[in-house]
Amino acid sequence: MIRLTKISKSFDNNLSYAIKDLSLDVSDGETLVFLGSSGCGKTTTLKMINRLIEPTSGTIEVDGKDIADQDPVLLRRRIGYVFQEIGLFPHMTIEQNIAVAPKLLGWDKNRRRRRARELLELMDLDPKVFANRYPDELSGGQQQRVGVARALAVDPDYLLMDEPFGALDALTRDTLQQGLLSLKDRLKKTIIFVTHDIFEAITIGDRIAILHDGNLEQVGTKEEVYNRPASPFVSDLFSKPAKQLALFREMT
Amino acid sequence: MVPENLISLAFERLPELWLRTGEHLMLTGVSTGVAILLGVPLGILASRVTRLRGPLLGATGILQTIPSLAMLAILLTLTGKIGVVPAIIALILYSLLPIVRNTLTGILGVSPASLEAARGIGMTNYQQLWVIKLPLALPVIVAGIRTAAVTGVGIATLSAFIGAGGLGQFINRGLALSNNNLVLLGAIPAALLALIVDFSIAAVVWSLEPRKHRNLPPRVRAGVRTLAFLLPFVIGLGGAIAYMSGGTTGSVAGYNSKNRDKGLRDRVVIASKNFGEQFILGELMAQLIEEKTDLAVVRRFDLGGTMICHGALVNGEIDIYAEYTGTGLTAILKDPVLSDPEEVFRVVAREYRKRFRIEWLKPFGFNNTYAITVRKTDAEENGWENISDLTIVAPNLRAGFTSEFAERPDGYPGLLKVYECKFGSVRDLDPTLMYEALVKEEVDVICAFATDGRIAAYQLMSLTDDRRFFPPYHAAPVVRKEILNAHPEIRDVLAPLSSVLTDVSMRRLNYEVDCKKRSPYKVAREFLKFQALLH
Repeated sequence: MIRLTKISKSFDNNLSYAIKDLSLDVSDGETLVFLGSSGCGKTTTLKMINRLIEPTSGTIEVDGKDIADQDPVLLRRRIGYVFQEIGLFPHMTIEQNIAVAPKLLGWDKNRRRRRARELLELMDLDPKVFANRYPDELSGGQQQRVGVARALAVDPDYLLMDEPFGALDALTRDTLQQGLLSLKDRLKKTIIFVTHDIFEAITIGDRIAILHDGNLEQVGTKEEVYNRPASPFVSDLFSKPAKQLALFREMT
Repeated sequence: MVPENLISLAFERLPELWLRTGEHLMLTGVSTGVAILLGVPLGILASRVTRLRGPLLGATGILQTIPSLAMLAILLTLTGKIGVVPAIIALILYSLLPIVRNTLTGILGVSPASLEAARGIGMTNYQQLWVIKLPLALPVIVAGIRTAAVTGVGIATLSAFIGAGGLGQFINRGLALSNNNLVLLGAIPAALLALIVDFSIAAVVWSLEPRKHRNLPPRVRAGVRTLAFLLPFVIGLGGAIAYMSGGTTGSVAGYNSKNRDKGLRDRVVIASKNFGEQFILGELMAQLIEEKTDLAVVRRFDLGGTMICHGALVNGEIDIYAEYTGTGLTAILKDPVLSDPEEVFRVVAREYRKRFRIEWLKPFGFNNTYAITVRKTDAEENGWENISDLTIVAPNLRAGFTSEFAERPDGYPGLLKVYECKFGSVRDLDPTLMYEALVKEEVDVICAFATDGRIAAYQLMSLTDDRRFFPPYHAAPVVRKEILNAHPEIRDVLAPLSSVLTDVSMRRLNYEVDCKKRSPYKVAREFLKFQALLH
């Protein structure tokens, strides 16, 4: 379980807050989506969970232990992380990229190789074709599948995903979203997923946390937030797709 | 230049060529190696500590703008040494900028996405450096090393100027003796060496790019990769072997700088400045000492000039060289010009003993001063013998002087005062062109060097300095007192030279070396045998 208690983050000595007094629990096996427009504090919150960013105040517990007391390096190795920019290492083959974290943990070569191939298959990438390729020989969608595989390499209990499909075209995004859904049923990971895309949030999230200007507007299942919006911002946000659909019909 | 001559020269000098190439590789290899060990960590440091960047790049940049010869001269003073040490330090300082700069650029060029991923995966700072930053920066770093090594090969040719050996020694000798083939014997291998070094580092780059050779069969691939990666080290090893074996192969007549096989005998180091007459004097002294004493002689010829020879003598790195009294007086002691030869000798002998613990031995007996020189035919026609004979006719004569002579108080300005000969025109000429210009009747009077071989060869005549205007430049051996105390026999062994060397005989010897391009060793040997000083 991940528990955030009164988390605040200011980048300018408390003049303004990227995130303010956020408290939230993420239960084991759950997929929680942070939804909000850019600048709302969702990525900042995500990065505080594996200590890429330190909170100004408040505590974060992972499995009941305050992460401030833990070695950030060891903490990060227990938490898978997927980036929007993917960040595959261009000088390593796909197999080597996936095997980076296992190598840090001292796995032997055969075990690393087996794991990498297993994960490639899980991601619907044929190991025979892809294992020895380099990142720039893959499409964006294929690269991000590798990015997910890399995050899963040491079988972490938690997976943080920072707008992982944000830079992909709509069709690829759709495929990867479906892939992730089937994956999460099989793997039973606790996933925190950041997006600005309301459809993506509805598709993937067991619960959705809506952030606006550093404040948590509402958190709940998609039915809860849609049927009982807690603030004008949330109701406005969820009425937008319907309006867009109407507009679309008008035009075609 | 005739290529066949060059080829036969190369064959004749093969062992020395091998040695000099080894020295050259050693200079470049050691300095590049040290520069990598210093520069890469400095570049890494600069990538982490932002405020160090400006000062570090500024400092290494300034180092690189110092002209090579000035850099060598500065290091000579700072280290108080001639030879390999200051040369290597200079090369290291030059190599730092490209290596530091490229390391920094390479690391800063690593994409932020890769770096964030590395942190997010749980890499320590150290792992981020070794697994991500350095491998990704490597092509840029190696490009910097390549720049450093190739320019290093070029700059190393200048190290010969301070007695560090290398291929530059052929170039310097060739320039000193105006022997183009000798210049090429140094320049061509140096250029080839630069290409080879460049290629070998390109091979390393190739070996580090796995994608470039993944289509090779696995077995061949591993071998070729290793070979490519090791290529610079193989070349370096070759250089080291050549350098180490220098003790035996380097004993080419008259040109060896290392006589390691001389074992337990006491050694005496004989040096020379960088022109023909100095080589001959060095050889004359060296061969006499070799023949008549038990001392082993080490030759350190072709040092860059008066200040370098003098500095090395004071520091005890060399023991003997030939100096000119006038030079000792004005250049070393900075005393005003004197015209009486005995007085000049007395002053330099006294002051050198007092200030430097250096002894002036008996002068060789020739005076390499300025000599106002005309065509012999003109002199005979007009009955000129003395410089004062020119006073009346001077306005009708065209003079060709070196630019130095035109300005020095003991040059044309003094000449004007003492002899009142104002020449019709005065042209500035390069010392090597002066003689030809006189022969071709482009000028009528030149300021020759009294012992230059071309005076006799070109049918010229030097006029007598009847008013004793020019300061004396009598050559004599200068020896460290310590060596002379330990081996007083040196004084007696060198003394007979003064009864056989005169202006005329020195001119002839210079002519053999400067004009006929013969080796100073052979010319000196023949002369000593002819004078029955050697058997």
